[in-house]
Amino acid sequence: MTDLKPEQIIALLVPIIVIQLGLMIAALVDLERSERRVRGGSKLVWALVIVFVNIVGPILYFVAGREEA
Amino acid sequence: MSGLAPLLRKELLEQWRTMRLPIVAAVFLLVGLASPLLARFTPEILKAVGGDQFSIVLPTPTAADAWAQLAKNLGQFGALVAVLLAMGSVATEKERGTAALILTKPAGRDAFLLAKMVAIATTLGVSTAIAGAGAWLYTLVLFEPLPVAGFVAAMLLQWLALVAYAAITFLGSTLTRSALAAAGLGVAAFIVLGILSIVPTIGRYLPTGLGDPAQALALGLPGVDVLGPVVASIALVAVLFGVAALAFRRQEL
Repeated sequence: MTDLKPEQIIALLVPIIVIQLGLMIAALVDLERSERRVRGGSKLVWALVIVFVNIVGPILYFVAGREEA
Repeated sequence: MSGLAPLLRKELLEQWRTMRLPIVAAVFLLVGLASPLLARFTPEILKAVGGDQFSIVLPTPTAADAWAQLAKNLGQFGALVAVLLAMGSVATEKERGTAALILTKPAGRDAFLLAKMVAIATTLGVSTAIAGAGAWLYTLVLFEPLPVAGFVAAMLLQWLALVAYAAITFLGSTLTRSALAAAGLGVAAFIVLGILSIVPTIGRYLPTGLGDPAQALALGLPGVDVLGPVVASIALVAVLFGVAALAFRRQEL
């Protein structure tokens, strides 16, 4: 096991943070489209799920939250 | 099996266009990258949180811990994703009437189901491969290189286990018109299989039993019995799909 400098640890964390933010933003952008209809009808609820349910939130939205037009 | 090729193309395209494949792949990559990191820094995190209250000295983490973390996260989290992917696949199309519409074209019902199942397995497969690549790389940086061939084989076993959970949910999705009922079946199966996995004789032939040979393969340990568990899980998937196909032939859409 090699010892890591703090900047190396940060370099390893950056991709994780980028993916997580990317997922969240992709889900929110999709949610905000005016023609988008969602399960349950409330976009606010889904926005909360996407932002506050870590990792699983965006996936829940993309797989189960949207209703196809 | 008529019309399989165009149906399969449609399903694969749909996995991409509905963002399922890219999103699941991204999330799996996240799990793949985060698992070795968590394994590496868990002792330090605990020390930081607990201060001096932790008198137990945690052993120095190794590459084996990185694999254990990955297997645990992919096993639980991946199973959830497998259930999510499969829950609506047939049920929603029946409910909306699109299944009946597609099947008026020269397309067989078996082909309709097979295309869907293969598309789900593909999404899970691509995502598992990406997670594996990320986890291997981070394990290399944080610990030591794991044997490549063994690691690939281990990820294949992980994938097979996920396909099994998808197949259980897929059967539920075919039998009912409710995606939620299908998800319920998938989650129930996950729990029941988790309990049954403790029984030594049958445990190793269940999808949950793929974990031990996968770990041995990933760490390059000798004398791994892979064949039995793998054949059993493939047979399980085939039987689940067969039952779904038989039931679907007799359904009114």
